[in-house]
Amino acid sequence: MSSKTNKQTDTSYWDERRGLFRTSKGGWIIGEAVYNHGYSMMDDLVGHKTFFQVLVLNVTGRLAEKNLADWLEASFICLSWPDPRIWCNKVGTLAGTMQCSPAAAVSVGILAADSRMYASGALVAGAEFIIEAVEKKKAGLSVEEIVNAELEKKAKRSAAKPVIMGYARPIATGDERVIAMERVTKTLGFEIGEHLSLAYEIDSYLQNNYKESINMLGYCVAFMVDQAFCNKEITRLFSTWVNSGVHACYAEARDRAPESFLPLRCDDIEYQGKIERPVPNIT
Amino acid sequence: MDSHKATTQVEKRDDTFVERSSTRIWQEVASEDNPYIAEHNRCHGYDLIDLVQKRSFVDVLYLLFRGELPTSEQSQLLEQLLIAQINPGPRHPATQAAMNAGVSRASYSHILPIALSVQGGEHLGGSEVEKAMRYFQQSINQQPNVLAKQLLETVQRPSEADWHIVPGFGSRYGGIDTFQNKIVSCLTELTASGPALNWGSQFAEQLQHHDLGWLSTGVAAAVLTDLGFPPRAGAGMFQIISAPGLLAHGLEMTTQPVTAMPFLDEDHYVIENQ
Repeated sequence: MSSKTNKQTDTSYWDERRGLFRTSKGGWIIGEAVYNHGYSMMDDLVGHKTFFQVLVLNVTGRLAEKNLADWLEASFICLSWPDPRIWCNKVGTLAGTMQCSPAAAVSVGILAADSRMYASGALVAGAEFIIEAVEKKKAGLSVEEIVNAELEKKAKRSAAKPVIMGYARPIATGDERVIAMERVTKTLGFEIGEHLSLAYEIDSYLQNNYKESINMLGYCVAFMVDQAFCNKEITRLFSTWVNSGVHACYAEARDRAPESFLPLRCDDIEYQGKIERPVPNIT
Repeated sequence: MDSHKATTQVEKRDDTFVERSSTRIWQEVASEDNPYIAEHNRCHGYDLIDLVQKRSFVDVLYLLFRGELPTSEQSQLLEQLLIAQINPGPRHPATQAAMNAGVSRASYSHILPIALSVQGGEHLGGSEVEKAMRYFQQSINQQPNVLAKQLLETVQRPSEADWHIVPGFGSRYGGIDTFQNKIVSCLTELTASGPALNWGSQFAEQLQHHDLGWLSTGVAAAVLTDLGFPPRAGAGMFQIISAPGLLAHGLEMTTQPVTAMPFLDEDHYVIENQ
């Protein structure tokens, strides 16, 4: 195959952007202000709006009402367990016991939670499910049909243990965080919208038939879709969901002696591989 | 429905967790006087000291992931890929991330993780390599010319910027990344070059009249596929391969003043719609 082409490639798209950046988000005009979606950060936001209101602004371009920002903050507290047995927290603890910096520890803890199994990494699938479920319900499908269709998609898993993102969870059944967030939702004056309403119907069906229930992720994505956030926005807003819990686990480990967290003897790892063999000479 | 409550009690599942983890890769044999110190380390049964003395880095890299030492031909193919993609180059966004971290005095230990995270993306990054490897697995039994024709007729070209018609193949800055063709020419001459590289070359040839061709991710994916790596290893292997270049560029900037990289002035940083 030739490595040269005979014609001049049209690079105008890149040429127009070379050395020039156009933003609709904002930025620093030195000596004047730091602008954020039309607001002056220091004049309009600092001291007037909460961190979570500004987080929503940065992610979506829309300044959230305070009650929604408070709801989001509560949801972040729900994911702030200081328990190093939780996978993302354990990563933070391991970073602490190896004397890494807090930024490294929290970053890798957040990365670990970008998981298909739980936390922020599972949000996309959870949001897709409830958005599609509402569409299916509007098209006339029953809750049973919606659930079965989802389970069939994942037929490789046992139907006795439903695998629907937003329902069931590792380690335990039920979810105390949902109960806490229900209280927050009510206190902050939110109504239950169509997605959360259907999420509850699915919850009831799964409780009756599989003894599984809605989890924190399922509750939050349904609520957020009802608040007019799209899947992409939800994923971005919750991307650092676990950061506070990782902090706790990191801090404790960092303040103790290095490698004192669950040290492993050689035989604490079971070797199941090939037996000892000589290295062959290169032929 | 506002009376609904999540009523299920929180109860521990009866999952059985293992008492200790296991591995088939690495054996650590404890010293007699300290059970935490490994007296011997073995990789898939081979003593690490023997490997140090008798084998190349590339051989042991292959061994780690594949469980057996490579043939000399396989080792040569992997080594040539490692060299060919050792550095994405100073303009690449992952390298720029490393350089930005370096010039802005980020901790030295952060430079590589920062760059590798950027190098893991779905566009020309590790995630694209994984997808490209899956694509090779799915498509390798189809005629590349038939498949290319079908794709060109059915897949919508984006209205702006580059087009990756399938993972690992597409345009780069509007045209063909001709340097990838040079790399492929080297690799396909090797004995261990296999069906994925061959299929990819035929596929790329069918695309070239549409300004599409091999991408770096496709080349890595083809070689890794031919060497028997699973797609789930593709993202990380791609990160490993480019790590030396990313780190070198990042470190180079750590001795430079912060002015050694551009900081757009107001004329070139335009805030719109405020």
